[in-house]
Amino acid sequence: MKSKKIGSILLAGVLFATALTGCGKDGADSGGSGKSSSSGSGKDLMTIEIYDVAANYQGLQTGWFDKVVKDRFNLELNIIAPQVAGDAIYQTRSSTGNLGDIVLLDNTDFADCVKNGLVKDISGEIGNYPNLMTYKDQIDTFNNGLDGNDGATYGIPCQMTNTSPTSYSQDVIYSSPMLRWDLYKEIGEPDIEDLNGLLDVLEKIKEVHPANEAGDPAYPLSLWPDWDGGDGMIGIANVVQLTTWYGEKIKGSVILKPDNTFTPLTDKSATYYKILKFLNDAQRRGLVDPDSGTQTWDNVCSKISAGQVDLLWYSWEVGFWNSIDRQKNGTAFIFIPVKDQTYYTDSDTYYGSGRVIGVGSQVDDAKYQRIMEFLDWYASPEGLVFQHAGIEGFNYTVGEDGKYTQINDNALMDNLPVPEEYGGAGYNDGNNAINQWIVDATSTNPLTGESYTSTYWSSYKEATMTDMKREWQERFGAPEPVDWMEQNKVLLVSPNVSVSLPSDTTDISVIRNQVNAEVCADSWKMIFAKDDAEFDSMWDEMCKTLDGLGFQDLVKFDMEKHQIEVDAKKAVQ
Amino acid sequence: MKKFLSNKRKMRGYREFLYILPILVLVLIFSYYPLYGWIYAFFDYKPPAPLSEAPFVGLKWFKNMVSTDVKIREVLRVLRNTFAMSGLSLLFSWFPMIFAVFLNEIKCTPFKKIVQTVTTLPNFISWVLVYSIAYNVLNSTGVINQVLMNLGIVDSPQLFLQSSEHIWFKMWLWLTWKNAGWSAIMYIAAITGIDEELKEAARVDGASRMQIIRYIIIPSIMPTYFVLVMLSLANFLSNGMEQYFVFQNAFNKDSIEVLDLYVYNLAMGSGGYPLSTAVSILKSVVSLILLCLSNKFSKLVRGEGFI
Repeated sequence: MKSKKIGSILLAGVLFATALTGCGKDGADSGGSGKSSSSGSGKDLMTIEIYDVAANYQGLQTGWFDKVVKDRFNLELNIIAPQVAGDAIYQTRSSTGNLGDIVLLDNTDFADCVKNGLVKDISGEIGNYPNLMTYKDQIDTFNNGLDGNDGATYGIPCQMTNTSPTSYSQDVIYSSPMLRWDLYKEIGEPDIEDLNGLLDVLEKIKEVHPANEAGDPAYPLSLWPDWDGGDGMIGIANVVQLTTWYGEKIKGSVILKPDNTFTPLTDKSATYYKILKFLNDAQRRGLVDPDSGTQTWDNVCSKISAGQVDLLWYSWEVGFWNSIDRQKNGTAFIFIPVKDQTYYTDSDTYYGSGRVIGVGSQVDDAKYQRIMEFLDWYASPEGLVFQHAGIEGFNYTVGEDGKYTQINDNALMDNLPVPEEYGGAGYNDGNNAINQWIVDATSTNPLTGESYTSTYWSSYKEATMTDMKREWQERFGAPEPVDWMEQNKVLLVSPNVSVSLPSDTTDISVIRNQVNAEVCADSWKMIFAKDDAEFDSMWDEMCKTLDGLGFQDLVKFDMEKHQIEVDAKKAVQ
Repeated sequence: MKKFLSNKRKMRGYREFLYILPILVLVLIFSYYPLYGWIYAFFDYKPPAPLSEAPFVGLKWFKNMVSTDVKIREVLRVLRNTFAMSGLSLLFSWFPMIFAVFLNEIKCTPFKKIVQTVTTLPNFISWVLVYSIAYNVLNSTGVINQVLMNLGIVDSPQLFLQSSEHIWFKMWLWLTWKNAGWSAIMYIAAITGIDEELKEAARVDGASRMQIIRYIIIPSIMPTYFVLVMLSLANFLSNGMEQYFVFQNAFNKDSIEVLDLYVYNLAMGSGGYPLSTAVSILKSVVSLILLCLSNKFSKLVRGEGFI
């Protein structure tokens, strides 16, 4: 007993000591300018802490992007990622008054941080940076919208474009039903009238494709619960996404309808109910992966890559299956229209995507200067090509006409090793860990006249003009999915506006939290309900419980909050 | 001063106080200083605004906990789960002891070592890994379902992880799988400490193996058992959250959410810090009541308390 006690005291002592030294080291690092190996700009090596809600990696930037930044600015980027460290880090760091040297936050949190003096006023400096000033209009609009701000500049919105707030420049939208072209052809390319028709089609696909080549069972739908409740969203993430197929957009506890009015999430005639019912029907017909309620996105991701999933709905999801080879042999996923659907999409993010970059209020002048230089480069064409297209000579080559051609198109997917001269390590490992851009990839690169995204380069379009694409074009009479939607007038583009929305009060945030937990738990049970009666009784029971948690207050709050946004959108339309 | 230095008894007391001082400091830092955090329960605190700017709201969050029927039901449900799962562990707390006794009876040393190692190893696996093992074994294409389907016992995959039945018992099974070997170590040590002569005398008197276990081994390790039970009583409400956190899903949430997990879910979702602090204060209060009750009980049964 005695020796155990001594042991535990020693252990506690060691822990305490490590905690102290941990703090000490941290302080020294953020203090900044150690003796440098002085490359690139000839300045001392400096470490910049970036508090970054978009990052899903925490720690120092490594690999090729680290080399790119060091060569130019001799800066080390130390990423602090709440997605990795947990949201509690926001509370602990903000209570010290120093969130980070650079802060990257969601609009609403950013406004709170400005109010609490955590963000530096950069009005005096920003004018000296030509690349940032290219987006002066958008930056000013955002900052003027900050509550109680009189003309000062604090933040730079992320993912701004140089197109317009009402245009839509992509070929596909964020969420639409996508099927494998070979399987759709195999069952005879039927027209799909509505969600029931979609289920019929999926049932037939399951008959002809019950398993992948390795013999593992394939299911039309594979869902995952681990994204539920992120970003202040209420309800199952998968369901929330699918509601955009009927022109509705879920904003917290309310649903924004195509006519710009709101209805509560629990409205039985609205889409949350409709999509949940759709998934329940699918489940009863044996079309839903039985592991859906307990697996994680990682499990689903490997199932997609292994060919065990037949219906995808996120535009980026196809990246785990559609290689150029599969597009050539016709086994790739592509949008298949459902006739009664109207597709909601957000327009180009001209004023930004809803996240903002700012400078921490406690940085000293020397550091401030270097941060601004870095941010200016981050918004420059050169910086953007690195962020969106990669390294010249490794990810793309430049033709005689100055246009780019993609090479090593699986660099990200397969984490290809990067040659030592570009910084070594795997490509994905060394990719930009900030994971958020000041300028969106759909913007036009002034150096080439084409967009920054490689999939929109003319060279790429040529390479992917496959038989499959030709067949699709013939079948649906449009060059690309978005063209089909526009021709048939089923595309609802919601204009991009810059507004600052009120943040939750403590009461509302507690209600939101409890309501979300309840809605998610009950929704999953409803997807696995045995019959309509059970489904409906669960729904009614859920509504009753929600009212007891204060759902009506939340609805009222959310309606008022998002009305501000809707009014701004109406003004643009 | 001179008087103080010349007073040997006082000097000694002073020196002895210095011996205990580091421990007192540690207790203050790790056990009392965190209590300062309770202050958050009385403010409308929301980061990034500092606490100094948050309005004082008194008992608002305590009242909030019981403001509607639904919320009262929630708190009761969570308490029920906590009591049920801790109670189950307490009820079966003899299991590692019996396991140790039987392990000790194995005469083939290599086999004994293997059993001990195999049962102790899971203790060093984190709960996250335990869940991924569980997922891989129990999912619709996992080993168990494959075997059951090949044997023709079931015709479609069983959703074990998704079932909401017998959650408390299943969680106890996982906990036992992970901990039994480790908890048995203490008893094995106690058994080794038993005087061989006692056993030999019993054997000479013609006692069978079971009789030796019953009349010599078990009574000798009973004191160890009681100490460990007392220690686990103190942690009755803190049955940890890692296990339940990794195993929780929409289907079993009703029976798996224990107090610690509830506090975590509340605070980490979107910053309901004041309410979750209030809930954890409630937990401390209930713990205090439990401690007093078991002390009373101990006084009644043994004639002396442990506080």
